Amino acid sequence: MGVAITLRGLSHTYRTAEGPLTVLGGLDFDVADGGYAAITGPSGAGKTTLLSLLGGLEQPQKGRIEIGGQDLNGLSGDDLAAYRRATIGFVFQHFGLLETLTAAQNVELAGTLNGTSPAERRARALELLHAVGLADRAGHRPSRLSGGERQRVAIARALVNEPRLLLADEPTGNLDDDASVMVIELLEKVRADHGCTLVMVTHNRELATRAEQRIPLDRGQRVAV
Amino acid sequence: MAATSIRRRFGRSVLTVAAVALAATLLTALVTIAGTARTKVLSELSKGGPLSGINVAAAEADPTQVDTDDPKPGPPKDLDDSIRAKITAMPDVKSVLPIVAAVVNVIVPEPPANAEVLARQPPLPDTIATTTSAPQSTTNSTSPRQAVPGLKTPDPFPETMVGIDLDRASLMPITILSGRLPVPKSLTEVAVTQGYLTRMGLTKKQAAAVVGTEVQLGAPRVFTDTGLPRRFRSRWVRATIVGVVAQETAPGQFIVSLEQSRAARNWTSAGSDAEGRVQIPTSPYSGLFVIANDIEKVNQVRRDITELGYSTSAPENLVASVQRYLRVVEIVLGAIGAIALVIASMGIANALLAAVRERRREIGVLKAIGARDRDVQRVFLFEAGVLGLVGGIVGTALGYATALGVSAVVNGYLAAQGLKGVRLGLPILVLLAAVCGSTLLALGAGAMPARRAARMPAREAMEAA
Repeated sequence: MGVAITLRGLSHTYRTAEGPLTVLGGLDFDVADGGYAAITGPSGAGKTTLLSLLGGLEQPQKGRIEIGGQDLNGLSGDDLAAYRRATIGFVFQHFGLLETLTAAQNVELAGTLNGTSPAERRARALELLHAVGLADRAGHRPSRLSGGERQRVAIARALVNEPRLLLADEPTGNLDDDASVMVIELLEKVRADHGCTLVMVTHNRELATRAEQRIPLDRGQRVAV
Repeated sequence: MAATSIRRRFGRSVLTVAAVALAATLLTALVTIAGTARTKVLSELSKGGPLSGINVAAAEADPTQVDTDDPKPGPPKDLDDSIRAKITAMPDVKSVLPIVAAVVNVIVPEPPANAEVLARQPPLPDTIATTTSAPQSTTNSTSPRQAVPGLKTPDPFPETMVGIDLDRASLMPITILSGRLPVPKSLTEVAVTQGYLTRMGLTKKQAAAVVGTEVQLGAPRVFTDTGLPRRFRSRWVRATIVGVVAQETAPGQFIVSLEQSRAARNWTSAGSDAEGRVQIPTSPYSGLFVIANDIEKVNQVRRDITELGYSTSAPENLVASVQRYLRVVEIVLGAIGAIALVIASMGIANALLAAVRERRREIGVLKAIGARDRDVQRVFLFEAGVLGLVGGIVGTALGYATALGVSAVVNGYLAAQGLKGVRLGLPILVLLAAVCGSTLLALGAGAMPARRAARMPAREAMEAA
């Protein structure tokens, strides 16, 4: 079960020492429920800001974002946290794993925030690690895992709360080619199995072509493919 | 998560805990030592008895002197069981202990060969025989030493024996310097005061020298039989000195059982006053030692007793003054410890601020997976609380150990000075306050970094990733 994404006139400006910096300027696009979109563009195009806004890490300043019919413009604080917990699964370029926790504990972490019992959390974490092919590495800390394995753990963590929208920020940016393919295939399999919507930011044109929909950005504007 | 963070930054955590522990150590040690010093000084003031004790004299009161510690008693006034019962029934009175003093002649350590001695085995006085021989030895549990090298042998002298309820002697203002108190109801054991040591030419340090020696106490009586010249005779009792004490129950160098002093008093009272040359006691009690429920109630009880018409004395002003000074010392020492704790808490704040800066990515990840601001805040507060609690527990234990060490050194010094040592109490409240205070201060110190972490924009945190 995924969500449809609707963006209308989305603009975003940061205040910097040098003055206001507009990173998104009146962006419009839609992604279908269960769709697969790749956001591409050079550095500074606004990809990460767009992903932050879609993931509820920031409040939209101007324009409208609807995720699964829910208007994010009216959400703040705890409501945004609840939205992230219930709807979003994040996969970061740098994995975002806590070095002090084992693979299983990293996966469990997402479950601790929604009040799941420790036993249930543990079972769910092991189930997901098994699903990403890392059941035998559950007790290992991130420093003992390869880049591809770390990203697979991160994907398992993103799936704990059964997200309807999976947001991946350069998920293969730190991986070699083989690992990249494995991770992308895993993300695509997750999408297929769970029916969630997948939005991926990538520099990699080849990977972007795998998506059903490409959203190329440049200086905060959508450009032609 | 907070626990793993502490483990991960083990070195820094240890240093932070050490700072808190050091501060808690200082606080606990200073307050414990100050508190014990206070107890010790006040205990010295009350000479072992309760601080809320009041001496009631068999004398008329001067109501204008009720607020003075040691008022001048008025003319004699009998103190009997009915008065004792009235005082016992007063509100705020915990106990009333009788004191019976009797004037005796004293021979140390052997009576002169020509002394006229009535040798009597107690109880007395059913039959009295006149003799010029030395008193018979009395049975007691301590083997008497007949002579002690260096002891003076003073001439017979008049003194007062103070009879108290030895079963409840611990409630009275008596401190044992050497040996022990006579056993309750004993007629053959006596404890002496420092005045006796002085008379014997001994110092306080040499108190043990008189323990085990004998003394003979003769209660005087004047016989005025018709047609015969007036005769003075004494009821002699040979007693063993079993201890040396400091006491403030009543003037007198000998502490004996109530039975002993009553027997002496009755013997003297049965005689003539020799036309005023001998003071015949009429009051059943020469004094009462009244213990109030609380030191704060002493003044009220004194007023109540004064209303009954009896003179009282109590070291309430002295105790209050000393209490005030010691309280100031305690506050100053506590403040030093508290300042140390505040400095340590700044260390916690600094360590946590550094942790917040270092863990931006971690905070971002937490927020990205759905953590609310308060969830993030809780992680850092928990970490601060753990550092404070562990530091507090370790520091409090070390502080108490330090106080024990200091008291051992102090006791060594006091013993070398011939003084009684200090027994360090276990100040549960101080220990609990130190642990709780450390934890609360740490939580306070962690509040700002925790709030900063919680307010960190999720977007910035994600960029740090």
